[in-house]
Order: sequence, then C-alpha cells, then structure tokens
Amino acid sequence: MERNQILAEVQEIFRDVLDKEEIELQDATTADDIEEWDSLTHIQLIVAIEKHFKIKFTSKEILSWQNVGQMLDCIAAK
Amino acid sequence: MVFNSLIFLAFFMVVFLIYWFPLKNTTKGQNIFLLLASYFFYGYADWKMLPLLVGATVIFYFLGKGIATAKSEKQSYWLTFLGVVLGVGALLYFKYFNFFIESFASLFEACGLHTNLHTFNIIMPLGISFFTFRMLSYVIDIYRGKFEPTNDIIAFGTYIAFFPCLLSGPIDRPTFINQLKAARTFEYEKAVDGCRQILWGLFKKVAVADNCATYVDIVWGDIGSQSGSTLVLAAVLYLFQIYADFSGYSDMAIGVGKLLGFRIADNFKFPLFALNIADYWRRWHITLTQWLTDYVFMPLNIKFRDWGNWGMILSIVITFVLIGMWHGSNWTFALFGLYHGLLYIPLILSGAFFKKAKLKTNKLGLPVAKDFGRIVLTFSLVTIGLIIFRAPSLTEMCAYVCGIVNHGIITVPWLPSVIEIGRIALAIVITITVEWLQRNKQHGLELGNVHIATRYVLYWVLIVLTIALGNFGANQFIYFQF
Repeated sequence: MERNQILAEVQEIFRDVLDKEEIELQDATTADDIEEWDSLTHIQLIVAIEKHFKIKFTSKEILSWQNVGQMLDCIAAK
Repeated sequence: MVFNSLIFLAFFMVVFLIYWFPLKNTTKGQNIFLLLASYFFYGYADWKMLPLLVGATVIFYFLGKGIATAKSEKQSYWLTFLGVVLGVGALLYFKYFNFFIESFASLFEACGLHTNLHTFNIIMPLGISFFTFRMLSYVIDIYRGKFEPTNDIIAFGTYIAFFPCLLSGPIDRPTFINQLKAARTFEYEKAVDGCRQILWGLFKKVAVADNCATYVDIVWGDIGSQSGSTLVLAAVLYLFQIYADFSGYSDMAIGVGKLLGFRIADNFKFPLFALNIADYWRRWHITLTQWLTDYVFMPLNIKFRDWGNWGMILSIVITFVLIGMWHGSNWTFALFGLYHGLLYIPLILSGAFFKKAKLKTNKLGLPVAKDFGRIVLTFSLVTIGLIIFRAPSLTEMCAYVCGIVNHGIITVPWLPSVIEIGRIALAIVITITVEWLQRNKQHGLELGNVHIATRYVLYWVLIVLTIALGNFGANQFIYFQF
C-alpha cells in the first residue's frame, strides 16, 4: 500500500477515535501536537489501527515510536 | 538539610555564588561543581550511603553505553534487563526485604507452621526511591530508542544526584541531561520567578503543613478517645498537610533549580481542584504517576489491549498498587493503591476516563455548582484514601474508620486554642484562594505580568504571613521517608 494511502487511512482513524475532525497528520506530528492524544487514547488508536490494517504490533515497536512517521513506517513494513 | 533551614540557606548561597561567578563561563566546571555539591548534600544527610549512590551511578552510566552499542537486539535486551533487576533489586532489598520476611513469617504462623525467619538491620538509603527511578528511566529510554546515551559521566552523575531533587523528587527524565550539557546564562526573570516559587513553597510548608501536622499527630496519637467529628477534621487536615508539605517541597526544589538555570519538571498542578480521581492523579505527584504510566501502565495496557476496558482496569489496578507500595513496606500503602485503582473502574466503564475534565466557572469566577460538587466528591474520596495512607497499620486504620462511625460524627470536634485553629484556618484559606486564582499558572506565585508595586506588596504580605503563621520547628518533609 502507498505510504500516502496509509497516512490518509490512519488520519481517518485518529479523527474517528479522538472525535476531532480537524486533525491533520504529518510525519512529524507527535502526541504533544494533539491535545486528545495521550497515553490512554494511544492504546485505543493502536487497537483501531491493528484492526483496520489486520496487523499486530510488538510492544517494543509501540513503545519506540516518537512520531506519526515512525508509526507509518512500521505499518508499511508489516 | 531541609530547604527551610538556615544550614540549607548557607549551603545554597555558597553554591549559588561559586556557580554563577567564578564558574560562570564554564559549563563543565559548573557541572563538576554541581555534582560535588550534590554529593556533599547527600553525604551531609547520609554519608554512609554515598558510595552506593556513586557506585550505582557508574554502573548505570556504563549500562546505558552497553545497551546502545550492543551487537544484537538480544544483548541490548539483557543489558536493559540487568539494569532493571539491579534498580528494582536495590529497592526491594533496602525497602521491602524485612517486610517480606515478616509477612511470610505471619503467613506461615497463620497456617500453624513455626518459622525461624529473622529480620535484618537494613538501613534504607535516603532518596533511593527517587534516584533509582531516574537510573531506570535512563536505561529503559535508551533501550526503547528514545534517548541516546551520554558520553558525559559528570552530566549523568549530576542528573542522578542533582541536590534539589535528590531526596524527594521531582523525578526528572533523562532529557534533563540535555539541559546539563547546554551552556547556562543567568536569566534575571527566571531567577526571580524561582524565588517567588520558593517563597510560595515555604509558606505552604511552614504555615499550612507544619501547623496541620501538630493537630493531625495529636489525633492520630490517641484515636480511641477522639470523637467522630474530630477524626473527620483530622483526616481533612491531613490532606492539606500532605499536599502543602509535598507540593511546598516541590515548589522549593523547582525554584532552587530555576536559580541555577534549570527547568525541573512540575510535580503538582493544583490537585485540590480536581474534578475526578483521574483528574486528581494527573495533578498530584505528576512525575511519579507519569513515570509509572510510561514504564508500568503502558506496557501492561499494550499487553492487555485486546481485553478492552477490563484490560485497562487490570493495568490501572496493578499500576496503582505499585504506586501505593512505592511509598513503603506496609500493607496500608498497598491498600491505598488498590483503593485508588478501584476508584477508576466507574470512570473507565462510563467513558469519563477518556475525556479530559474541564472546569467551568460562573460569572463570579467560582466553579459552577456541578463542578463544585465534583471537586467536593473528589476531595472526600482522596481524604478517605489518605486515612489508609496515614495509618501506621491496618488495625489502626480500622480503629480510625470505626471511630468516625461510632464515636459521634455530629458533635463539635476537639479544637486546640483559638490562636492555633485560627492560624490553621487562615493558612488554608489563603492557600485555597491563591491557588484558585492562579490555577492556570505554573505555580501559586507566578506574577510575571502583575504590576511591580502590586508584586512587592504581595511579597511582603506573604513574608509577613509566613512569619506570623509559620511553625518553625524545622520539621522534616513527609516524603523524605519514602
């Protein structure tokens, strides 16, 4: 799948889970940029992304991401 | 050497002058000096344990390097594992070894088995719960790829032993090392703000905490003969005591950090105005809660993520029992943690947990009725939790709770002299008022935009009030024991 396509789908999941239509994701976006994105909603996002792309992340992968770009790379590599 | 003592004032004045004058232009020199000053500060309190602090610092410095340069993922994992075993092992040994022996002996005896288990004379090093957490976050963050190991052992050692935070936090993360590596310039505004924060912390410590402590200690010293209403009043005052004591300490530590040119992590964000328990823990002892969130709750929550809300509840309950147990080796602390963990269940199941609580105010600037009710409810739940926390044992906790129920709650509580109770009441009213007005600021006395004349009036009023209301018995800070 194209990386841009992944970004678009992940953005849709973010908007849906965090209930905020204005969210615009970029590679450099971090949890500090989106108020609703905290350690709790992070897990909801992971579960929704795993379900959507039918993939499973490892704990180390999830805990090592520092921005959206790293998360997208991980999805693309699955 | 407590912050509110003359010896600390003398120590800090010497540190401040040497740090900003002869060493002004040398970051390396400032860091070496800070490290030596921090070791002196620690040695002054507990010189026998200084080798442990220095030794652990050297071990974790090289572990960090080893994790980053490991030849394989497996090697990196095992080095991190070694770091966690050493850090947690030290905590378990110094804080919990005797507790486990006693608990096992009681368990065996309850089963009718006689044991010859003996406890040992283990002295807990001061600040161990705080500096081991700094060391652990260093190796774990390197393993997770979130932090590059430093090649500067002086900066690393100063991060671990930085004297304002050494004995009771806040627990800064390894990114603090970046501040230590950067050149520092004396910023007048930052330094003045640090002084203001120290003044506010001092007021809370000597005027609120130490005055409340006198009443609370008397009541806890003789639970059986107190009326129910006295026990309730002491429970409420204990909340003010521990809040003012620990947040006062944190304010002073952060203020001292600012005077040296650093930005230490915030530890409290006006928790007296929390709207629910989750909101309370986002505002209370933030650096500990955030530490356990990142290194315990998150891995557990990720593990249990397919179990939905119940996975989250399990992760929260485990995390909170650990938060409780972190305070010391007593079943009351475990129960305190469990109590708070269980209070999250309705919030998670109703979905309120996932929404950030936002306080609404009316035209008078006071909380709207619904939010006021939520503040009072949260305050009451926290007060109940602190009865468990304050109790020396589960037996005394039960006696306290039974006393509230059975010894007449609708009575006039025991009150000390009019002067003493007036002093406590006035100090608490001032604290609540100031913190309410400043609730969106970093600390109670952040006055950057206030007119200079008003600022000076406020300083003098607060200094006079601190002297007039303060209890200068040089009481220790509660969190030194943890």
